[in-house]
Amino acid sequence: MIEPLLFLWPSFLVAVCLVGIHAYFGIQVLARKVIFVDLALAQIAALGATVAFMLGHPAQSAATYGYSLAFTLLAAVLLAFTRAWGTRVPQEALIGVIYVVAAAAAILLIDRAPQGAEHLKQILTGNILTSGLNEIAVIVPLYAAVGLLHWLLRRRMTGTGALIWEFVFYASFGVVVTSSVAIAGVLLVFSFLIIPAAIGVMFASTLARQLAIGWIVGTFTSAAGLAASFNFDLPTGAAMVCAFGVALAVAGLLYPFLRGNRQNALRVATATARWTVTTILAAAALQLAAAPRADQPLIDLIEVAVPSLRTLYFTRAEHATFVDASEYAERYRREAEQLNEVERRNRTQGVAFDDFFVARISSFLKSYGEMRKGEQFVMGEVRARARERIRWSVSLGLLALALLFAPVSWRRLWTRTSSCPAWRDRRRQNPVFARQCSRR
Amino acid sequence: MVLRFAVLAAWLALLSPAFAQQRLQVVTTTTDMRSLTEAVGRDLIMAVNLVPASMDAEDYQPKPQDVLRIKNAQMLVRVGLDYDLWVDRLLAQAGKPEISRGGPGYVDASFAIAVLELRGMSVGPGDGHAHGSGNPHYWLDPKNAEIITGTILEALARIDPANAASYQANRSAFLARLGAKLVEWEAKLAPLKGMPIVAYHNSWPYLARRFRLDFVGFIETKPGVPPSPAHLAGIVKTMRERGVRILVREPQEPERDVAFVASKTGAAIVKLAASVGALPRTDDYISLFDANIKALTSAAAKQ
Repeated sequence: MIEPLLFLWPSFLVAVCLVGIHAYFGIQVLARKVIFVDLALAQIAALGATVAFMLGHPAQSAATYGYSLAFTLLAAVLLAFTRAWGTRVPQEALIGVIYVVAAAAAILLIDRAPQGAEHLKQILTGNILTSGLNEIAVIVPLYAAVGLLHWLLRRRMTGTGALIWEFVFYASFGVVVTSSVAIAGVLLVFSFLIIPAAIGVMFASTLARQLAIGWIVGTFTSAAGLAASFNFDLPTGAAMVCAFGVALAVAGLLYPFLRGNRQNALRVATATARWTVTTILAAAALQLAAAPRADQPLIDLIEVAVPSLRTLYFTRAEHATFVDASEYAERYRREAEQLNEVERRNRTQGVAFDDFFVARISSFLKSYGEMRKGEQFVMGEVRARARERIRWSVSLGLLALALLFAPVSWRRLWTRTSSCPAWRDRRRQNPVFARQCSRR
Repeated sequence: MVLRFAVLAAWLALLSPAFAQQRLQVVTTTTDMRSLTEAVGRDLIMAVNLVPASMDAEDYQPKPQDVLRIKNAQMLVRVGLDYDLWVDRLLAQAGKPEISRGGPGYVDASFAIAVLELRGMSVGPGDGHAHGSGNPHYWLDPKNAEIITGTILEALARIDPANAASYQANRSAFLARLGAKLVEWEAKLAPLKGMPIVAYHNSWPYLARRFRLDFVGFIETKPGVPPSPAHLAGIVKTMRERGVRILVREPQEPERDVAFVASKTGAAIVKLAASVGALPRTDDYISLFDANIKALTSAAAKQ
């Protein structure tokens, strides 16, 4: 328990700092409807750093930072002025264009200096796991200064004031994003920016409350993402982004129950769930009937969860073949792994194998691979044949199940038909409807 | 003045096709294959590599000029083992059966190599057999150069039988030089035998096998996927337990992750080139090993 804490606390502190400033900027960004502006600014900053690199400045020098800042300020001017301009074309279009052109221009520059690719990657794909106190020492004063500036100018930062205040907004945002993207990467910074702010805006109307909700949600979600990343051995940034996604989904699901008409929300939720189940079941039925040998996502998923389901539709002989093949496939995999391990250990221990012996190991490994593929082919073939046999009965069963789940009130179709409407002719072929109409 | 240029241009126009015909045009995917091909072909061939030095060959994006280079080539040398899959699409686009799979001028240099760490299946278009992908960095064992240059020699002699004897002599001279160097390298690396080393990416099993080096772990578990905290904590723990003092990084790999692990463990970062030209003073196959071995030995001496 102590070890992960020792390893993760610097990343957690960095995440808290990033959530602190980005939740605020996120609320502003949502109000201005410029959702992807952080990507555009980060890309512009990276282009600036690339130019500096091409001119021969080292990666973390003041000159490189200067170029980044100059490019970001230029983009801030562009963004501030186009708000007043863009009447017919939404500003988001321009932001997208800035992003793709900056990215493409950086690739063109890098193509002249291959070593620069790593340099460019470093600006845009930070790794929050390897960040720590050094980063905190830089970002805390920077974010505090930006936060203070925005607090002093809080009456001006409404998004409707003079162009100069818009410029100040985009410029300070650019400075923040340039530093945070280098630490946490584009994906994670976008999540920090948008998701806590969106949840805050969902549940509160004043800036102070929105911020408080965003900070609390952001801090807890970051902690959950970091913990999941350690427990399940996942890449940290991606795990945190998914944790933020889950947080937004949960908030979105809770919203109608907490804010809206509870009964209505419940009804809509049930209908949605039933429609979803119906669609999945019907699609699975159609897929099985149309292409029994192809992948059957629903059946495959259930078989992974409950392998004994196979015994329901395999014959005894098929089941024996299937189990046998899967045991052999696993055995070949294990033996290949052992052989690899023997070779690896022999690199430094014992008497070195001669080249002929290593070649023999290599060809053994190849054979194991082929044999394993053969067994896997047998497994697939057995299953495909069994599925072909049951295609009609099971797909009919699935279809019936789908109809059962469909949120259509079947009873009403049977009873309440006061007058036979115009679609009667179309449905005459169907004996059920025909009888209904003739009865009345 | 204008006249003089016109004459010069006319001369060049007359000369260049003749020139091109004299020297066999070879395209290789990486600089390593180019260096080995040049070792066999010397001045009888004209070799170009598609992937620039120090760029990652596995995710290279071909350029329009590359199609042209392939169109003009009489021979193609590739690394194979899923390392340069993109070249298949280029060959299909250029429509040159004589240097495509099965043609006389097609060389898959991984032919007859004893591939290490074979597991899983190849993703490339193959001949229907399930050949595992294995670790593709086989040129980093200098002994494998014997097999690679043998495959190249065979193809060159097939396309250009008139010069077969010269190719044979070139290869023998190169192998003699390499053999002498190998003795020298083995002596230099002897003190590093069994010394634990951690690398960012698993590019080094062939080098490790030849020189009995002990790579005990890698920071990156899958190419392009950042390490998880549990894996990173495990690496730091292993390094402390086993007293790893050397951390190997290639120039195109993320500096920050390696620096983070180094700061946690106090190990020295050694920059090694996995390809010819990736670092200064690695201009050909032999100097690639010279530079790497010098970097390794000087880092080990400082400990």
